[in-house]
Amino acid sequence: MAMQNEAVLATVEGISRSFGGTQAVKDISFTLGEGRCTALLGPNGAGKTTTIRMLTGLLVPTAGHIRFRGLKPGADQRAYIGYLPQIPAFHGWMTGAEFLRYAAGLCGIPKREAASRSAELLERVGIGGAGKRRIGGYSGGMKQRLGLAQALIHKPQLLILDEPVSALDPIGRREVMELLGELKRETTILFSTHVLHDAEELCDDVVIMRSGRVAVSGALNDIREGNREPVLLLGVEDTREAREKLGEWLTGLSDACVVAVEHSPGSSSARLYVRNLDEARRYVLRQLNERRLPVTKLEIGYTTLEDLFMKAVGQA
Amino acid sequence: MSRWLVLFGKEWMEMTRSYKLLWVPLVFILFGAMQPVTTYFLPDILANAGNLPEGAVISIPLPTAEEVMAKTLEQFGTIGLLVIALSVMGAISAERTSGVTAIVLVKPISHLAYVSAKWAAMLALILIAFAGGFCAAWYYTAALFQGVAWQSSLIAYLLFALWLGFVGSLTLLFSALLRSGAAAAACALGIAAVLAVTASVFPKALAASPGMLPKAASAQFMDAASASHPWLAAAAALLVMAAVLAIAAWAVRRRPTLEA
Repeated sequence: MAMQNEAVLATVEGISRSFGGTQAVKDISFTLGEGRCTALLGPNGAGKTTTIRMLTGLLVPTAGHIRFRGLKPGADQRAYIGYLPQIPAFHGWMTGAEFLRYAAGLCGIPKREAASRSAELLERVGIGGAGKRRIGGYSGGMKQRLGLAQALIHKPQLLILDEPVSALDPIGRREVMELLGELKRETTILFSTHVLHDAEELCDDVVIMRSGRVAVSGALNDIREGNREPVLLLGVEDTREAREKLGEWLTGLSDACVVAVEHSPGSSSARLYVRNLDEARRYVLRQLNERRLPVTKLEIGYTTLEDLFMKAVGQA
Repeated sequence: MSRWLVLFGKEWMEMTRSYKLLWVPLVFILFGAMQPVTTYFLPDILANAGNLPEGAVISIPLPTAEEVMAKTLEQFGTIGLLVIALSVMGAISAERTSGVTAIVLVKPISHLAYVSAKWAAMLALILIAFAGGFCAAWYYTAALFQGVAWQSSLIAYLLFALWLGFVGSLTLLFSALLRSGAAAAACALGIAAVLAVTASVFPKALAASPGMLPKAASAQFMDAASASHPWLAAAAALLVMAAVLAIAAWAVRRRPTLEA
């Protein structure tokens, strides 16, 4: 699974963008490997959409540049990109099939091919039956699918999707995620999301953003491995006595194998970051026994990506 | 070129589906026909209005056919311009506001093609609508008054169509520059009014102003001598229209979508 030496499709080099006085994106850099699926992850307002718009060329960075393989810096990258905006808008007076043929025409695809490709894509995104209806009558989910179809119309090398599943209901979400899983084998994908689970399910790489900067980026597996910390989750009975006892024990805790304790005063649960899991397990179990803490839960394992994500995007 | 045709085809289809291709010409035809008809029947209309004292004598000199045609152009200069500005004002700003430009302008098309396809569609609409209106006026003038020489009529048609196209282009420009369609229409009509007024106040100094065009068109029906150099104004209008296209394309490239 080593992919270090694979081709880089696009490189983002230190781009920034400000609107008026506020800087939405501050000096971010990352690369998109060919054939990889990258998630741009971050809470709302982290600068994901701004970054994506700069990649599509809809926004010009105030500093830095974006290079595409085989293109001079600043050259028109639009032919290589398929883009689905966060809230796709169409001409409501056109039918779905008409809009796809229009989009195909704009990409220079000849009429006959445009018609067959449009029909095929409508089927593929699951709105084949609605192709002859006006877009004005489409639901939000159907527009999202049509948006995906128009982004794919010219078989782009890089598919850029801005929150492709956020606006969908659970079933639509599942279907689109499955479709993205298929597309992943055909092309390079960059998609933004604020849901870690979506990223984990599909992606090879992640770029986690926080208030306009890249907090963490890299291959998902590397990040998972690199940031795996042994951790103990501890819970006691939710009585005042038990909570006090827990607090007492934790404040007096001093052992070489416990690195850090996460515990808010008066709470019935705690999180212990430890150095050596085996040692820590023995130590903690012994202590719990000696102090007769009414334990209800003891989970011994490793931090998840979710923990890392929360840490990276949290205010701490 | 094929992509330009796709863009133009979309504009044409939109004009058909929104019935713009129907109602704009209808308004022009209506006003074109009304002017000679009401002028001809004005004495009867007044007599039947009913609020005149018994025995009042109305004596209105019947205008010449040329005067009627000139008057009709005046109508097109107000209501015609308004209709055109209203039908063009959202051409770019509405697409930008709706967000469809985020999809269309990410496709590999030139921004100039995007703007010029809209411009060409607008020009086609103007030529068709004004031709309908002008022919209606010409026909009723010929039927009720007298025929008007077709050569001078043709020149008048072309000059005045250029004026309409000029103001339409200005509307398109402001539609690319401004967020609001209403503001775009207001700006374009305001500039048109200023140009027309200044040109009639300083006809000598502003001989090359596009504002001379409506005056020059009317003059085709009057003394040919008074319309000495409409070509300078026509050339200026064409030049400005070309510049408008370039600026609008630049504005669309610089701000393809509303940044939210």
